[in-house]
Order: sequence, then C-alpha cells, then structure tokens
Amino acid sequence: MIFSNLKEMGILGINNRVGRYILRHNKRSNYPLVDNKVLTALRAEAWGIATPENYLIVENYGSLKNLHLKLLNYESFVIKPAKGSQGNGIIVIKEIIKEERNGEVRVLCRRSNDKLMDVEEVKHHISGILSGLHSLSGQSDTAIIQAKIDKHPIFDHYSYGGIPDIRVIVFEGFPVMSMVRLPTKSSDGRANLHQGAIGAGLNLSDGRTNNAVIRNQVVDIHPDTGHKLSGLKLPFWQEILELAARCYDMVELGYLGADIVLTPDHGPILLELNARPGLGIQIANLSGLVPRLEKIRLQAPKNLMAKERVDYSMKNF
Amino acid sequence: MKKLIIYITAFLILSPIGILLYKARVLKLSLVPQMVDDVWNFHINVKPKGDVSNFSFPIPKSAPGQKVTDERVRHKDLEVFIDSNSDSNVATWSSKEFIKGRISYSARIDLKPVIYSKIPKDYTETYPKGLEQYLKIPNLLPEDEEAINSLETAILEGSEDKTTLIRKIYYYVEEEIQRNTDIKTIHETLNTGKGSPLIKAKLFNIMARRKKVPSRIVVMVRMPELRQSMEETKLRFTFANEVFLANKWIPIDTNRGFFGERPDNFMLIHRNYEEVEKLISKKNVSYSIQAERARINRYNKAEFKKEVIKSDSIFSKLSLYRLPLPLQTMFTTILLIPIGALVLSIARNVIGIPTFGIFTPILLTLFFKETSFGFGMLFFAIVVTIGIVERYILDKFYLLAVPRLSIILTLIIMLMLGYSFYAVELTSISQKHLSFFPIVIVTLIIERLSIMITEEGMLNTFKTLLGTMVIVLLVYSLYFISALEMFMFTNPELLFLIIGLLILVGKYKGYRLSEFLRFRDLVRQKKKMESLPHDLL
Repeated sequence: MIFSNLKEMGILGINNRVGRYILRHNKRSNYPLVDNKVLTALRAEAWGIATPENYLIVENYGSLKNLHLKLLNYESFVIKPAKGSQGNGIIVIKEIIKEERNGEVRVLCRRSNDKLMDVEEVKHHISGILSGLHSLSGQSDTAIIQAKIDKHPIFDHYSYGGIPDIRVIVFEGFPVMSMVRLPTKSSDGRANLHQGAIGAGLNLSDGRTNNAVIRNQVVDIHPDTGHKLSGLKLPFWQEILELAARCYDMVELGYLGADIVLTPDHGPILLELNARPGLGIQIANLSGLVPRLEKIRLQAPKNLMAKERVDYSMKNF
Repeated sequence: MKKLIIYITAFLILSPIGILLYKARVLKLSLVPQMVDDVWNFHINVKPKGDVSNFSFPIPKSAPGQKVTDERVRHKDLEVFIDSNSDSNVATWSSKEFIKGRISYSARIDLKPVIYSKIPKDYTETYPKGLEQYLKIPNLLPEDEEAINSLETAILEGSEDKTTLIRKIYYYVEEEIQRNTDIKTIHETLNTGKGSPLIKAKLFNIMARRKKVPSRIVVMVRMPELRQSMEETKLRFTFANEVFLANKWIPIDTNRGFFGERPDNFMLIHRNYEEVEKLISKKNVSYSIQAERARINRYNKAEFKKEVIKSDSIFSKLSLYRLPLPLQTMFTTILLIPIGALVLSIARNVIGIPTFGIFTPILLTLFFKETSFGFGMLFFAIVVTIGIVERYILDKFYLLAVPRLSIILTLIIMLMLGYSFYAVELTSISQKHLSFFPIVIVTLIIERLSIMITEEGMLNTFKTLLGTMVIVLLVYSLYFISALEMFMFTNPELLFLIIGLLILVGKYKGYRLSEFLRFRDLVRQKKKMESLPHDLL
C-alpha cells in the first residue's frame, strides 16, 4: 500500500482531519467566532486575551468617503478582511505620507514591500473587501483597520519583510504541535507557507526550532538573511502555549489553530484563530499529528486548567 | 450510530440491486431498451408477368430470431389477403381487373442469430401428420437413386441416431459438393460433384428425407454488408434447409456452412420452398428485393414503454417512460448528474484533484453537453482570456465588485452576439449553442479565476483549472456511454445506490492520493534523518 509510510508516521490527512477531528470536535455554531475576526477580537477582549488593537471597522461603502481623513490619525496600520483566509486581502501600510501641492492634500501609503499606494487605491481595496472578494464564502464582508505589529528583535535575522507568526494546533485545549512561519522574499514578506515562507517546527517542550522547510523542502539557513535556522529559541514559550490553550476555552472548538505573534513590548498576542488549520505543520516538524491527537483523545486527563494542559503537552510532546 | 450508518448504506446499495434483479428475473423486463440499429428496412417490389387479376408472393413472418413490424402490404387498388396458417406468410393481392404496375411490400425486420449449440440424439420413429409432407421423397431417375444409395452406404455407415445421420449428410453436402451456379439438376450434381445453392439444398433435403428425417428447403434473403447498406443493393433469394430434430426445426446451411445456426444476416422469407416454387419463379413474376439498416442508432423507447406497461407491476406505474417525451429527454441528461457528482466526490476526496468551486465542473459539463465539446472548450478559452484581460484593465478603474462582474457578464453576451453573426455567415448553426445559464457560470468562473491568479499565482490557478478540466472531461465522457444514460433512465432507483456510494466516499478517512505526493518529501527526509548517526543531529 502506497500509504503505509504515511500511516506509520501518523501523518494526518485531510479526510481524516475533517471526518475524525473537525466534524466531531468542532461545533459548527461556534465557527463564526473564528471565521470573523471582528467577533474573535470582541470575544478575546472579554476573555482578557491580548489581540492587536482594531482602529476602525469598515462595514459599509458610505464610511469609505471620509476614510482618508481618519487614516491620517495613524502612522501605520494593517487592512484585512474580517472573514478572509490564508492571508488573502491583507495589506500592511507602514507609513502614511501627506503631500501638499497647490493647496491640495494628497495622501500616499507606503506598503510593507515599499510600494506606494494612493489612498484611493486603498479605498478601492477596502471596497473589494466589503463586496466579499476575499471572504471565505464570497459573501459581503467587513474590513478591519488594525494596528500594525512590530517585529520582535529575536526575529531580526530570521525574517524578511513581515512579521513571523507562531501557529499552535490545539486539540481539546492541549497544544499538540507548533511551528513558526518566517516570511521570505519569495513569500513577499508574508508568513504564508503556500507562498514560500519558511515553516520551522518548534519543540513543544522548549520552543526551540527542530527543523525547517520551504515548500516541503528541508532548509538549514534562511535564504534571504543567510542565518542558520536551527537553534532559534522563542522567548515567552510557556506564555505562548498558554495563550493558545486558553483560546480553546474561549471559542470551544476542539480542533483549533491559533496564530500568535510576539510583540516587542507586550509579549505574545493572539492574531487570529483557525477552525480548519492546515496540515503543512507536520512537514515543518517532520512528524505526524495522529499519535499526539490520539494520545490526548484517549489518555489525557479531562477538566484541566489551561496551564495544566500546557504542562501536560510540554511534558509529553 | 456507526451501525446505523452501515445499515442505511447497505440498504441504499443493496435495495436498488435487488430491484434490478427482481425486474430482470421475475418481471423479465430488459434493463435497457433494445437498440434499434440492428433493424432492417426491408422492401420487396413485385410485378406479375402476363395478365392476371390476382397473384401471391411469400412475405416474411415473425419467427425465432426474426421480428417483423411495421408491415406495409396494402395497395390502394387491390385487395390483400395474407395466409398465415403455416410457418410462413403468403400474401395474395387481387383485383377485379388485371393487375398492372408494381406492388410493394415493406417492413421493419429485427434479426437475431439463431443458434442451437447442442442438439440431442434423436431416435424418433413416427411423426405427427402435419410433418408427413416433409418426408415425401421426390421421384428420382433410377441411376440417381442408385448413386445416392451407394453414397449412403459409403458415408452413413454405422450411424444409429438421426442427429448423427443429419450431421454426416451435412458434412458431405457442405464439403464434397462444390458450389457452381450453372449446375441445376440433381442428376448433374451427382455426376459432377458440383451444384448451385438450390441444388445443394435439394440434395440435402432428399438425403434427409430418405433417412426419415422431416426436412424442408427454406427461402431466405441474405442481408447486405454494412458497407453496402447506403447504396441500393439488389438482393436475391437464396436457399438453405431446416430439419426436424429433437422436436425442433433446426437450421442447416450447406452453402455457407452453418449447422444448427442461422446468423443474423439471413432473413427467412418462406420455410417451405416447395410451396412457393412457382410463386417466386421468374417465369411468373419479376421482383426486386432491397434491405438497408435503419439509420437511426438509438434506443427503442417506444417499444420499451409498451413492455414496461405490459408488465403491470409497480414499476410500470413509476416508470419514467410514462412521461411526455421532452421531459424524458431532459431526465436522460439530468439522471447522469448524480453519477457526475459521484465522480467529482471521488476525484476530490479520494484522489485530491483541486477544482474551482464545488459544482463548477458539473455545471461546466452541462454547458459542454448543451453546446458541444469543441464549441464549449473554445468558448470557455476565449471567455477566460477576455475575462482575465478585462479584469486587469478594469482593475485600474477602481470599480466596485458587482458592477465589474456585471461588465464581464455583458462582455460575454457581446461575445455571443459576435459569435452568432459569424456563425450565421458561416453555416446554419443550431440555437442550442446559445443558452442562458452557462453565461452566469462562466462569469463566476472568470471572477474566481482572476482572484485566484492575483492571490495564489498563475501556477496554482492553472493546476486548479487543469483539475477542473480533468473532471469536466471525465463527467462529459459519461455522456458518451449511451448505455449508461439509458440504464439510469430505465432504472432510476439506482439513484439510491449512488447515495449509498456517496456515503461511503463521505466516510472515507484515508489519505488522498494527492497527499502521497504532498508528504512524500516528509517521509523521505524523515527516513534520511533516521539513518544518520545520532551525534550528527
């Protein structure tokens, strides 16, 4: 059987993920809490879970009219669709430039990849978001203008352009696998594995990288910075895992992916949640999810606090 | 819960199969209507010679392996009488005046081969009265009788049962008498070892009857080869035998070498040459025979409808054949969609082929089906190109999404206008090519496509496009299996079977074929790591 190797390594396939874990452990009615980032942020605030500050929520075309005036209040920001997926439709503006010519004010935005965008273009992008261009199901959507997060200095040599994020798969509240996604030039500064970002597997026990891949190929050094990828040890590791574990209590989804970013001043904060986290994390860690999921399902003690669950995971995985 | 699903699935899968078996075995319904393509259009034109006010001519009759329908024997000035008392039909046309001009007969004839592979040994001594005429031996010249006598001692020695005797006579006439159309009497044949088909049949007939086996000469028409069928081929009567063995009339053809078999390119006109010898003699009539294959190659739904209604079961009430014809046509197409969906489910969930949207491939297939594959592909390709280009251009105008989509929609309609002007110039193209619903599908595909290109890059987009096309091709090719189409239409209960299979696919939790590729490197690298000594890690 051609699949015997995969089975032996306990690789989780899509059908298995959906049929055995997502459908059984995730209540459909709780999906909006993770699929809509506005709702996630509201719920997180109530639970005291730190998230990036939402400056503005744009819900209708009418509020686009004077948007440029409001945007001038901020030095930098991120525009994202509330119901987007895989980082689609996200624009990072790192600088707002005001030009005055003959008494006319022109507002330009500098993107994270240094391209300049007229504010009209920004508005057009937002109207695209509102009409549902980037949303999961193509329905009309809401745009979020959010505080731009700065890169934690530990990533200085490990990231090109954007901010790395840490993905933690949480099963029944127990972190089961984790990786950090490091943007590269070919991923256009985005932490998206499909576009060529580095996926580096992290030991749950100590937050140290154990392996790294780009598009399924093992790599040792960051292709843009030339820095060795092994030996990166994330600070606040226990806090990161606890944050992820608490998300389970917050949205009550048994199989959950938590995307966490490290801020320079506030430690780890929750960026977004995912009810159908991808399977590439297994490649980044060179190991399969099934044995860990089954261990939790069959052996882990029930009714633990988030901190106790994290302890269990750090000890066992 | 798990058990319940197993029960439901088993029920869904097994019950349609059960119904099929019930229909086939108990009700003896065919599961698919007969194809009409082995049906012949058959014509005879006859003209009596001399001044007669009535005359007769043999016409085909339904028999095993031969079904005669749609007979046309009537003639506006003549009375027609058909004598069907014997195994054969003879039509008699009569009038108060002398018959002038041709008389035509036509019919549809469905031919099937007749094969008796095992003929049991036959020791019958006496036969019923009706068969006595088939035992009469015609008068022969004394020297011919002597010749046959010595022939019999030579070839039939030691045979005890009639089946073996007939087989030996058959081998002798078939192999030893060469075909020669100039030789027309038994006497000549016995002297030269050659004979015309009729004479060979006569010789066989005499030899069989001398051994007390009822035998007769049958008049047949050999149907033209397929290649000849388009042109008008004039056919002639030809001859073979039938012998009564083991209570059956067994076909035997010493001219073409068939024992107990009549292939489906021979049609019986009359089963006793002796009765019609005069009627078909060129001295009395001139005639021409034509046959061509019915050109339509489709299923005979009308016939099947009768069959279903006759069966008088619950299925005859629920049969789709009772629907009006336009609805029937629609359902033949629609009933394949669930099979397409099954193919799609397997392709996506078991193989892992990426597609645009979920049912886009199915909708596209219907578009292709409704137009034609070539047109569909061309139209699709042009439309996708226009869509991509337009989106890049319209992107510069910062238009809202809905109006922009509407512009693409309008552009597609303009394309269709242009096409129809072109098509009208070119040939008369059927309006079928321009129908409503594909327009919207195509528009949505363009939009998804252009978003995907910007977000996931050309490579991924084309992978998905390719995946979609593969499935479109797969589902589209289902429509070429016309038997499948008819099978679903005749037995719509198979839809339950499809649901059962879909549950199985839905419960499939194994790996997708695509994941074998996706995780291939993982497995390889893991193996490599494990083979390294530990201190190197």
